[in-house]
Amino acid sequence: MNGSFNEEQRDCLQEIINVAMGLASDKLARFLNTFVHLQVPSIALVGASHLPAEIETRYQDIEAAMVSQGFFGNEGLRGEAIVLYQMENAHKISALLGYEPGDVSEIEMLTDISSILTTTFLNGLAEQLDNSMSYSAPRILSSRNRDIAEVLTNTSFHWEHALKVDISYQLIDHSFNCDMVLLIPGEAVNHIKTILDRILEEY
Amino acid sequence: MALPVLICDDSILARKQVRKSLPESFDVEVQTAGNGLEALAILRSQEIGLVFLDLTMPELDGIGVLEAIKAEQIDCFVIVISADIQPEMQRRVMELGALAFIQKPVNEDKLHGVLRQYGLF
Repeated sequence: MNGSFNEEQRDCLQEIINVAMGLASDKLARFLNTFVHLQVPSIALVGASHLPAEIETRYQDIEAAMVSQGFFGNEGLRGEAIVLYQMENAHKISALLGYEPGDVSEIEMLTDISSILTTTFLNGLAEQLDNSMSYSAPRILSSRNRDIAEVLTNTSFHWEHALKVDISYQLIDHSFNCDMVLLIPGEAVNHIKTILDRILEEY
Repeated sequence: MALPVLICDDSILARKQVRKSLPESFDVEVQTAGNGLEALAILRSQEIGLVFLDLTMPELDGIGVLEAIKAEQIDCFVIVISADIQPEMQRRVMELGALAFIQKPVNEDKLHGVLRQYGLF
């Protein structure tokens, strides 16, 4: 499935994602009132059914949380954006924002951060793809105790493809990793490819 | 005489975007680099008048390149073109001696404006 984009398309999508990430990081930095050290995100397209296995190893035996948000654009560009966090990272962030450990609002905080990341990122992506997005409200898919793989299996079941964007943020005094996964249908992948080819033709 | 220009970005698309955004009548000789280390190798061995520099790159990032240019007193103008638009980052690159900061994806008018402003074109 990784060969679903050719090398030129992959380079093009990577750059578009970098730009979208830059916008999202800027927003996050303002929200957390800190500086975010940006790294090149790695991207991969996998079959949605392979997603749980891909993600499970990274989050094995780790307290994790997942926030999901649906997005809807034109020409079949729609899907579900999932942001995965290790709770240890979430605790660091909530400390930065002045929350007490275990505070209920920690979950609210994750929802806020996910929404900032997801909508800013997807707006940036959509703008470059000549599209526009609307969103459903973010919802917590899982926190702490439930099995990540099981929840991912249930969520990804409805989708054909998963575009994994491995995001790693380093804040000045803390490091903060999260994974963003875009679950998208086949028509969205085809649409993205067409647009990428159009962009590539321009240059 | 053509101005020797270096475009440094890990993305092929981004390098092409910069190349295509240069004014048509701008007499340049363009070389490219895919990361900071490649850029420094070129800057240390050749006279380059103008560098278009990305920030987020593997091997050595744009900040590392700016620091080396400053430390080694390499004589060239640097225009940073980056997706990392945090005000703190813009302040840092200007402090390290960059001529200007341009947000990605590069805007042709903005780029031409900067080139004119510094008499490069």
